[in-house]
Amino acid sequence: MKGSLLLVKVSWRNLWRNPRGTSLTALALGLGLALLLISLGLLDGGHEQTIADGVRLGPGHVVIQAKGYQDSSSDELLLPSRVVFRIEGFLQSGDMKHVVRGISPRLLANGLLSSSANAAGVRIMGVIPHDEQAVSLIPLRIVAGTYLSNDSLSAVVIGAGLARKLEVKIGSKVVLMTQALRQPSTDTKNGAGEEMQSTLLRVSGIFRTGLQAVDATIIHLPSAAARTLLGVADGHVTQVALLLEREGDAPLVAGALRQQLTEAPIEVLTWRESIPMLAQILGLDHAFNYIMNGVILVTVGLGILNTILMRVLERRYEFGVCKALGLRPLQLAVMVIGESLALTVISLALGLALGLSVNHHFATSGLDLRWVFTTGLPPALVFDPILYSRLTSERIVWSVGIVFAMATIISLYPALKAARTELPDALKVL
Amino acid sequence: MTEWAVELKGVRKTYRTGPIEVPALRGLSLRVAPGEFVATAGPSGSGKTTLLNIIGGLDGADAGEVLVAGQSLHLLSSGELAQLRLERIGFVFQTYNLLPVLTALENAEFTLLLQGVPTHERREKVKKLFSEIGLAGLEDRRPAELSGGQQQRVAVARAMVTEPALILADEPTANLDSATAISLLDVMEHLNRATGTTFIFSTHDPQVMERAHRLIRLRDGQIASDETREQGAAVG
Repeated sequence: MKGSLLLVKVSWRNLWRNPRGTSLTALALGLGLALLLISLGLLDGGHEQTIADGVRLGPGHVVIQAKGYQDSSSDELLLPSRVVFRIEGFLQSGDMKHVVRGISPRLLANGLLSSSANAAGVRIMGVIPHDEQAVSLIPLRIVAGTYLSNDSLSAVVIGAGLARKLEVKIGSKVVLMTQALRQPSTDTKNGAGEEMQSTLLRVSGIFRTGLQAVDATIIHLPSAAARTLLGVADGHVTQVALLLEREGDAPLVAGALRQQLTEAPIEVLTWRESIPMLAQILGLDHAFNYIMNGVILVTVGLGILNTILMRVLERRYEFGVCKALGLRPLQLAVMVIGESLALTVISLALGLALGLSVNHHFATSGLDLRWVFTTGLPPALVFDPILYSRLTSERIVWSVGIVFAMATIISLYPALKAARTELPDALKVL
Repeated sequence: MTEWAVELKGVRKTYRTGPIEVPALRGLSLRVAPGEFVATAGPSGSGKTTLLNIIGGLDGADAGEVLVAGQSLHLLSSGELAQLRLERIGFVFQTYNLLPVLTALENAEFTLLLQGVPTHERREKVKKLFSEIGLAGLEDRRPAELSGGQQQRVAVARAMVTEPALILADEPTANLDSATAISLLDVMEHLNRATGTTFIFSTHDPQVMERAHRLIRLRDGQIASDETREQGAAVG
């Protein structure tokens, strides 16, 4: 287009006719982008932490269980030892060993834990201590005593909430009572099935996750002790929990396992399938955040529309003169869009500088939200109260693209308005 | 057959505001030869500005025909009209209307840039014109740093620099003191003589009318008188 350079020059200089207005508008749009980047960084970082913590307090990134366990939660559905061996063998071979960080076979059941002071219903997790430490968050959240070791057969690790209820401390004796599991392959007449069993255990460690449901109900004891108590054959487990190096590999690993164990009566679930509530909460959080970001962008966008429109309306006479001199409507529109784009570029630079700086701070030092949850985390949430931002380059490009597109679209109406400057009416203003 | 610089045949224009109709031109016919230096005069509302707007293609006639350099304006699209204004017609407005963000030189070369004239040629033309009309040395000043007379000279330079066949000036001296007005008229007359460009300007100012080679008086949208004379004739 002839004279494009001049139009760009005019656009740029027009921006600085009102430096305060331009600076404020650029700041508003820049703040919009910065807020978008900060909120996306914290959202993604928070979600990543929530998923990491959630899966480590639950069944891992991928869980393998007997078919039907997810729906029925029947502890009598067990994985036979030969299937567990096959799973472990497959996961420790080839490429899988680089993808999988930890494998923990678990035996699960419900029970009643009693102390001399009180009793409480508990969820028993019989674990191999070394394996569980590679998968679970609980061994990392011990606040008193120590976690289980492979040779501590009568030890139990309980949550702080449960310890408070039972009024026990490290070294206290507790009695765990449960019903022996009835297994389809086991002869119930041998005396093990459906009978109440109990064992004396000693509290070796107390953990605190901050999640009331976990701290008040989960207990860990060595799998050998759990097997004996529940009357389960050696090597049989309720589930095999896997912790992966990358959360994104969960569908891949689950798919490979399903393919490998087609004939076995098992179900392989990713965390999204095994903890659907967590996936739903995160999905809702995402949706809410997108709506909030949309509101921020629309608000900022309306501010910019107002500014640019005002500039155009104020210069109606000037546009009339340009048109009288031979400037075509398209050139007038280009001039206004050029002005808006120049403003956008300045704003994006401001927004990026601010947004990335704040994100860097939150990525390294974190955003401490402990003051919000002084009495523990809400039962439906699983996350570390210190949020660490995580902003990917895709998110940055996406955010900049959205703001740029928004500013461009917003400038179309004022540009159209300028292009439609009517002669000779526009020249009659003064 | 003579090709008139401007030819109007029975041009009518009525402005409508709701139910109110205000006739601005009532069947006006006019011919201006190339190179003429014409003033239109008359009281407010007589149709001077409307006449210039219609000749310049800024406004359309309701009836009649307007020809500029033999080209009938009502046959042209808005884009073609813009092109005609850019290439064949220069405008000088009462309030100068320079772009405030551009320097005097950039304002003057604005139309040349739109025509795609190369930088070197552009600058050369503007500087030559600036020195002819007494603006040398003021090239880098913004409009706000120039006096009214200087701004109007820049506006004349902007109108002249593309070497148009026709310059339309709507009360170009209205905002100038009489000495500056005379100086501007000197410039316009000099350019008219030197380049043969046709000038049509509207005015209320008797001293401007005195300088016109042809004076057309308008009343109620019609030509009341049309006198051609050598300059310096008394205006009554």
